[in-house]
Amino acid sequence: MLLSVSNLSISYGKNLTVQDVSFDLEEGKILTIVGESGSGKTTVIRAILNCLPRGGSISNGSMIFEGKNLLDLDEKGWRSLRGKDISMIFQDSGNMMNPIHTIGKQFIEYIQVHSDLDKKSAYDRAIENLTLMNLPNPANIMNSYTFELSGGMRQRVGIAMAITFQPKLLLADEPTSALDVTTQAQIVGELMFITRGTGAAMIMVTHNLGVASYLSDNLMVMSQGRVVEYGKTSDVIEHPQAEYTKSLLKSVPEIGGRRYV
Amino acid sequence: MSETIMRVEHVTKKFPVDGGRFLTACDDISLDIRRGETVAIVGESGCGKTTLLKSIMNMQLPTSGKIIFRGEDITKLRGESKRQNYRHIQMVFQDPTTAFDPKMKIKDIICEPLLNFDLISRSEVESRARELLKQVELPEDFVNRYPHNMSGGQRQRVAIARALSLEPEIIACDEATSALDVSVQDTIIRLLVKLQREKGITYIFVCHDLALVSMFAHRIAVMYLGNQMETLDGDKLENAKHPYTKALLKAVFSTDQEKNQYIGILPGDIPSPLDIPSGCPFQNRCEFCEEICKSKKPEFKEIETDHFVACHKHDA
Repeated sequence: MLLSVSNLSISYGKNLTVQDVSFDLEEGKILTIVGESGSGKTTVIRAILNCLPRGGSISNGSMIFEGKNLLDLDEKGWRSLRGKDISMIFQDSGNMMNPIHTIGKQFIEYIQVHSDLDKKSAYDRAIENLTLMNLPNPANIMNSYTFELSGGMRQRVGIAMAITFQPKLLLADEPTSALDVTTQAQIVGELMFITRGTGAAMIMVTHNLGVASYLSDNLMVMSQGRVVEYGKTSDVIEHPQAEYTKSLLKSVPEIGGRRYV
Repeated sequence: MSETIMRVEHVTKKFPVDGGRFLTACDDISLDIRRGETVAIVGESGCGKTTLLKSIMNMQLPTSGKIIFRGEDITKLRGESKRQNYRHIQMVFQDPTTAFDPKMKIKDIICEPLLNFDLISRSEVESRARELLKQVELPEDFVNRYPHNMSGGQRQRVAIARALSLEPEIIACDEATSALDVSVQDTIIRLLVKLQREKGITYIFVCHDLALVSMFAHRIAVMYLGNQMETLDGDKLENAKHPYTKALLKAVFSTDQEKNQYIGILPGDIPSPLDIPSGCPFQNRCEFCEEICKSKKPEFKEIETDHFVACHKHDA
């Protein structure tokens, strides 16, 4: 088992925002967490990387990653884990980066912080990863600023950075929600290709049940900070048990589905 | 079939950019909008759908073309007659949190258009607001609340109530449900459809989600890079002929694994609207692209009743 989360509870001050979340993730598998805004899905994956916003803290539970309890790590331990063994893909990778520095500068910095590579090898490594993400003309991208790229290209850069050190676990927070539909399909395809290719496991947070059904092995439905339903994706989608899951599935718009007029 | 309520005729909108060049946001768009129906304008970012909507709303003048509504070309209206025209077309915006003044009470938000046009007096505000809240299925005592005391879905209902207040013939919705959760989105769509049945309102619904509009649109117009690619009936999406429409359909993820087998990935990126290729705007991403597509822009023509396509290879 790569990651075992049990009875995880997270609170902001006195408010308990996530209660009693448990799941297991095997190597190379994809778990999606779906739910509506405020359901606590993003809080869960942020906790796994110990980057909860100010005021948030884990009040109960354990997270065992490769046999170690993540909650026992000190700041140095987290540093060696983050970005290498576990890395994160954000909703808009453009916002993750500094707009006044080139992508190349930040990419090289990121690689050098986490390894002993010299600048030249770091540059080559970055180019290699950008190429892997089907980005045309990677040298040009290294010289660009984030605002010069389209949303889809920015997201590819974010993924290229996240997979640099071939992490065992990728965390993705709504990685396709800000994208157009055809770009979303491209990125979802690439995420599948990457995880299958490198054997990385992934936890993806999304509100798009279609993407979740297409991509994931396991599916967790959250509402108001609690797990409503958790299981194999096909079981949850085809035979939902909880009323909440049923009503959620019923509201998904489908091509060739129900019509109100 | 109902009568045409608005005719968009050859609307083109160009924005000047540095170096004396022009960005063509809408290129020769023509659209007939029928009374009591919903027209969905669908496309990805930068396709010109919002620019077209702004022209229809008379919020910006098109570079050329006409928009015929209530017997006149509304792009020619000025001053008071232009203002009076707004009574008949109202709008619901994408983000209900930024569409309201946070310091105004719900009743004042809803009735502001009525006061602007001197249709009611101050003393009638509360009762009229209650009536309108009832129509959008919100509790009447919301009249004294402020927008921040409500959920996103409730705020969007208030936005609909405000749009309804003037009893307009057309309501334009710009991504009106995109910021909402999927279950809330569903209830808002059902509300819009119910109001349409009761009042015969016409909706122009701008949206990027083809699956969503397939639930309630009578007509769907697909745009790409400022051009109209295909217009067809909302219940006939499976007859879509344009390769771009087909690609959009294939990009929709479903909860039905059987349908997900047909997910197709459209390669490439949208070209910059500053250098739209001559010929077909979709040529660099189209699998059926041939010599003619690169040299000649396909005409937007009717291939069967009420089904328009701009493609040289539509039978491919």
